[in-house]
Amino acid sequence: MKKNLPRKQVMGWFRSMFLLLLAIACTAAFGQDRSISGSVTDRSTSESLPGAAVLIKGTSIGVVTDMDGKFTLKIPSGDNILVISYVGYERQEILIGNQLVFRIQMVLSKTSLQEVVVVGYGSSKVKDLTSSIVTMKADEISKTPSSQPINALQGKVAGVQVISAGGPGDSPTLRIRGVGSFPGRENEAPLYVVDGMFYDNIDFVSPSDIASMSVLKDASASAIYGVRAANGVVLIETKSGSYNQKPEITYNGYFGYQVAQNVLKMANSQQFTQMAMESGSEADKTFILNAMQRYGRSYIDPNIPAPNTDWYGEILKPAMITNQSLNFTGGNDKARYTIGGDYFLQDGIMKMDNKYERFNLRTKVDFKATKWLTIGGNFIFSNALKYNNYAGAWSDAYYAVPIMPVYDPSNLLATPTAYSNAQDLGYRSGQNPFPNMDNNIDRMKIKKLLANFYLDFTLIPKTLTFKTTYNYSFQSVDQRMINLPWFIGNSFQNPDATITRYLTNYNDWIWDNVLTFTKSFGKHNLTVMGGTSFKNESFTMLTAQGKNFPTGMEQSWYINQSTVIPVEAVNDNGSAQYGMSYFGRVAYNYKEKYLLYATMRADGSNKYQQKWGYFPTVGVGWVITEENFLKNNKALPYFKIRGSWGQLGNDKIQASDGAYTTYVVNTTMGGVVYGGTVVTNSYSELKWEMTQEFDAGFTAKFLTNRLSADFDYYNRTTKNAAIPVQIPLVGGSVLKPVGSIRNSGVELALNWSDQAFNGKFSYSVGANFTTLKNQATDLYGQDYIDGGTAEFRQRTYVGQPLMAFYGRQVAGVYQNQAEINADPVAIANGLVPGDFKYVDQNGDGKIDDDDRVILGSYFPSFIYGGEINLKYLGIDLSVSVYGQTGNKILNRKRGEVIWTSDANMDADLAVNRWHGDGTTNKYPSSAGLRKGWNQKMSDFFVEDGSFFRIQNIQLGYTLQSKNWLKGNFPETRIFLTAERPLTIFKYHGFTPEVANGVDNQTYPVAAVYTIGLNVKF
Amino acid sequence: MKAYKYLISSILTLFFLVGITGCDKYLNEPPENTSFTQQTDYTKSENMKLPLIGLYEKQNMVDLGWSDFPLISVRGDDVNAGGSGDQQDFSETDKYNYNKDYWMYNALWQDYYSYMITANSAMEQIDLYKEYSPDKALAEQYKAEAKVLKAWWMFQLSRVWGNLPIPPSSDPTDLLTVPLTSKDDIMKAISGWMDEAIPNLPAIRPNERADLPGGVTKYTAYAIKALANLELKQYQAVADAAGEIINSSRFSLEPDFYQLFKIKGKLNNENLMEMQYSDLGQGSGDNYYYLFSFFGPQGWTPKVEGSADGWGFWEPSIKWIKFMLDRGEYIRLQTSVLFTDRGIAEIKKDPNYATLPSWISNITPSGDKINDFAREMFCSGKHYLPTDQLTPGRVTYGTNKNFQCIRYAEVLLMYAEALTQGASGTAGSAAQAVNIVRARAGLPLLSGVTLDQVMDEKFAELAMEWGTRFFDMVRLGRINELSYEGRTFTTDKTFLPYPQNQVDQLPILRK
Repeated sequence: MKKNLPRKQVMGWFRSMFLLLLAIACTAAFGQDRSISGSVTDRSTSESLPGAAVLIKGTSIGVVTDMDGKFTLKIPSGDNILVISYVGYERQEILIGNQLVFRIQMVLSKTSLQEVVVVGYGSSKVKDLTSSIVTMKADEISKTPSSQPINALQGKVAGVQVISAGGPGDSPTLRIRGVGSFPGRENEAPLYVVDGMFYDNIDFVSPSDIASMSVLKDASASAIYGVRAANGVVLIETKSGSYNQKPEITYNGYFGYQVAQNVLKMANSQQFTQMAMESGSEADKTFILNAMQRYGRSYIDPNIPAPNTDWYGEILKPAMITNQSLNFTGGNDKARYTIGGDYFLQDGIMKMDNKYERFNLRTKVDFKATKWLTIGGNFIFSNALKYNNYAGAWSDAYYAVPIMPVYDPSNLLATPTAYSNAQDLGYRSGQNPFPNMDNNIDRMKIKKLLANFYLDFTLIPKTLTFKTTYNYSFQSVDQRMINLPWFIGNSFQNPDATITRYLTNYNDWIWDNVLTFTKSFGKHNLTVMGGTSFKNESFTMLTAQGKNFPTGMEQSWYINQSTVIPVEAVNDNGSAQYGMSYFGRVAYNYKEKYLLYATMRADGSNKYQQKWGYFPTVGVGWVITEENFLKNNKALPYFKIRGSWGQLGNDKIQASDGAYTTYVVNTTMGGVVYGGTVVTNSYSELKWEMTQEFDAGFTAKFLTNRLSADFDYYNRTTKNAAIPVQIPLVGGSVLKPVGSIRNSGVELALNWSDQAFNGKFSYSVGANFTTLKNQATDLYGQDYIDGGTAEFRQRTYVGQPLMAFYGRQVAGVYQNQAEINADPVAIANGLVPGDFKYVDQNGDGKIDDDDRVILGSYFPSFIYGGEINLKYLGIDLSVSVYGQTGNKILNRKRGEVIWTSDANMDADLAVNRWHGDGTTNKYPSSAGLRKGWNQKMSDFFVEDGSFFRIQNIQLGYTLQSKNWLKGNFPETRIFLTAERPLTIFKYHGFTPEVANGVDNQTYPVAAVYTIGLNVKF
Repeated sequence: MKAYKYLISSILTLFFLVGITGCDKYLNEPPENTSFTQQTDYTKSENMKLPLIGLYEKQNMVDLGWSDFPLISVRGDDVNAGGSGDQQDFSETDKYNYNKDYWMYNALWQDYYSYMITANSAMEQIDLYKEYSPDKALAEQYKAEAKVLKAWWMFQLSRVWGNLPIPPSSDPTDLLTVPLTSKDDIMKAISGWMDEAIPNLPAIRPNERADLPGGVTKYTAYAIKALANLELKQYQAVADAAGEIINSSRFSLEPDFYQLFKIKGKLNNENLMEMQYSDLGQGSGDNYYYLFSFFGPQGWTPKVEGSADGWGFWEPSIKWIKFMLDRGEYIRLQTSVLFTDRGIAEIKKDPNYATLPSWISNITPSGDKINDFAREMFCSGKHYLPTDQLTPGRVTYGTNKNFQCIRYAEVLLMYAEALTQGASGTAGSAAQAVNIVRARAGLPLLSGVTLDQVMDEKFAELAMEWGTRFFDMVRLGRINELSYEGRTFTTDKTFLPYPQNQVDQLPILRK
């Protein structure tokens, strides 16, 4: 097939020719030769690579592949290593052994500019982009042992913040360039596109099935997705087979353990008793005495009770995680296929039935039916079983007092297990987490199906193509929540067995039609694309409840078997949304030097009153190194500056809020149920949030392509942000589309890769940095919007971050009576030594709520990540780190003391409380903790959430094809992974990864240690 | 080849055409699963009572709002906060140390204001139905009922906070522009609303209503009018309004004071207004309940095993118990107080009370035994349901019990006080009214009563209920009564401070 070779290939060809001549000259010297032959192709496109260099390592014997990418080479006897290299691709080394024919597939190197990346509804070469897109490939993604592919992005991509979720099967939170919507309404997530289908949740995708994951960060990249794209887009392409490839069987598997990290130390019995004695509360001292009476005294110290329960130690356990996947891929020149299955199992670290088990089957087939028609289909089926943990256990274990054991055999009335009950000691609640852990069973059966079929017509070869795709997604979630009855005490029991079922179905389909035109007119290269898309998303839900069913066997846990079926617990819900879009793109470049890019999308939806939205974007780029004055500069082979502006939409906002609607309520009068209605009239029409984004940056490669740098400045402003406008007096608020929010910052990604010792040793070092400034720019004339709760106020001021923590600043602690006497504020408020001194912000001589200031927000102002990859012969080692600073966390667990003071506290607080002059200037006294004066929202509760983490360490060894099994030994790699082995932070909690900054029930994020195996036949 | 190309082109055109045109109509589909108020059929007059029932649901609030009644009523010398060690700021409020940032203040404000907004909304909805209804008088009656409920909540809030804005409509944002109304003007407004409502309400007892059993009636409105005028010291208006109730001869006191606060008290002939709850007679399943657990002892040996205890709040004060012992009270003291051994010992520490009547014990007349617990020494007997009156299968404290708001006894004593303050009455003498109450309590009758005797009778009769004692003492300037057991009351402590959360939102409160 004739084709014009691009410039770089020609250059490569010449260089290789020279080497060839040299090689021919030398070959003659050797005798007893034999011949090997083979072909060299590009792995992902299956195109042959002419001009690739094929050498014998350590010699000057070699050839260059011909126009069809084929070669023949005479090799000397003995062990020889074949080295294949080609500019822009990763070098390969293969032990020749007895093999005679080689099919070599080259993989593009990471920083290559020839790389083709997927953009919305098409693909583009990296060098032609004016947009900010980062792509991660399969081998990077598979380094992270997790059920969720998003976890692999943590720390690797500038501008992206991933907040892990600890529970098995839980999806992490992903934020691209800050948060553009008002928090708390679950509409901040980016759009996920999996093989062309839109998703909000990609928990069914197995990381080992992903070929590439691209993050579209700026407007020019994501605006093509219009009304979904305001929070960024993540494009996922699953693996396909390759043309002209003999069948390959790949096995990927790992097995390992998760261990909870940074388990918070709680006060032990001695510390807890000390706190109770100093608390000034007779009741608490009595409880200690009661504990000693009931459980005995400790033989170490007769003044503290005998039990010394470490509740977190009791409820945590190491848990197993494993993934096994098997894939068959292959193809001939007309078709390619991949078929595979994947099994994943992750146990939870809480001592109860808590796990996530998923089985996936997938197949992808592409078939070149005729010269002008390619058809294909893709089918992923995922069947998952998830047992959710009892989330309350994390706070139960925090508050449970250490002076009580887990079991209390003297509790004779308790069934089914005699757990201890803090109420026996006089506390208000039972506190023991185990009854709920044992008897709350929350099971979800999640089945997801993604199917798509396409027809790709080549109307004019290499110029005009038309593709029509039908995508269908079906998701079904069957959730059964069971509470079995148990009895520990009169006020610590669950008398009824209850069952609640939620059956939820999502049915979505999208039909895309895309016409693409590509043509070069001399030095002008033009691609024009136009398309339409129609989508239908619907969801139905049915729920019902039952009480008092026979609990003996799980087979009888049905509403059908219940004696009582409450009528008001039956509920039926549904929604249907339709969308119609027209979109187009023009990508133009002149001599690949001046780049111009524009897209436009018109989206129609039936969700809002306003039916149509328009989302244009334009991007420009200038590849300065193509200019004559910088051409072929050795120090700076590539430098492109680019900029873009665009408008995106967010249609996850609900259609209206408040609403002038009627809802039904029931009450009893005279012992009979009467139904009534309540009408509320805080109706507010909502619409799409519009985000305008401006991005400017440059991409550069230095020093013979070894150092690359990517820099971006971004500025996104969301207009019509749906913000809560307070309904005064009554409380609550109604959303109105009248706010404006801005996120801005810079991103920098640097990467250095090189080789040493004649290519035996290669390494790369990468780092990325992101800054983020998030602020509300307009709040509809309101100076601020209050959020959070009255006791833990979060306030959004104009010019400050969203939902910033708002409270007093602690200046220190009153140490002695002299300080009290000297301070009129202390005297006016009846304070004693051990109480907080607050900063008098307005200098009025009084401390009250007028002395509150912004204490920080949960958005990190700086995120960084780094990575080192080393490769020596068959050994590879990679270490990646991740960190963030500038974010604050509200330690809401310590804040619970406002409502109930008969709970445990963390050891740091217990040991370092103020207990005498000079003992501390940070924490109040034990008695002080119970005083309202010290319980005000302040920077005692709002802590620094910065952290540094070693994100991933992976050590692998690749067994080369040796002379085992007669040269048929498959490519094998064994690897050990430690994921999140070390996290360093100051916050007094389990994990600093708290998505919205308020730490209440956060599931600890565990470290995962695995051993894995990749085998390719 | 060319033929193929044409074929393809036409297929493509077809695809495009279908793609573009076929689907546009879907953009006008309305959303699923909503009921559109614009589509409410106001011609269906049988639905006119639905907004009213929706309002009663607010009065009979299930589970939520448990902190509203305690905050209103804790400050008198009849009751202490209890719950020692828990809810510090609530204990402090009882001792007149107020904290404007305390969540309970904000909760009470928000709860009652949202109920009043719902009342305004109900009245607006009823007006929409009235247009098509053949029975205009019924519509007016329903609106009058809504007015009565609204007045009750406004009355309570104003007693607690003094000067407040009155919500003019169902749109809460209107409150931003309305000025503060002084407490006196609020009471006058309430009296005026009752005057508007009275002609439209049925002249029966609440438990005589067949359509909405226990719903408010004309006499409820008179009672609230009397209460409002009592705050204003307009004693003649009090005497007139209370007199109307007495002269109707519809109400009578429940002969068994003990059972008045138990199941027998539900829809009793003595009740002019109550919050209604029910477990539907079933031992499990749906349950409409008030959170009486707040008042329950935190440790007991109930007669019916497995019955749950409570949180240990709401402690009758020793001052009140001694007052009742001095009067030789038996029926009312035994009903109103659940004793513990620790509490009995504490009373006996005072040499004047070294010996107590033999019936005083920690076992209630119904057989529930109250154990000693740290949080308080006595429990409220008026918020206690004996476990042998619980529907079998129900364990939560107080399930199926109602919560009385206004009793006929209070009406009689208000009438009596008004007369001793100089008003002239048409429903008998003050002594006659007081004696009806005393007779039920097993006390000897009096031949004539002074103001002090009436106030003492009120103290004995209404303790632990809606804070009447505190507000009466403030009204009569008897502030030394309110300084007891270590706390000191001064008149500047009459009203609670506005909740900080509300001050933040409403500029008018900052003045």
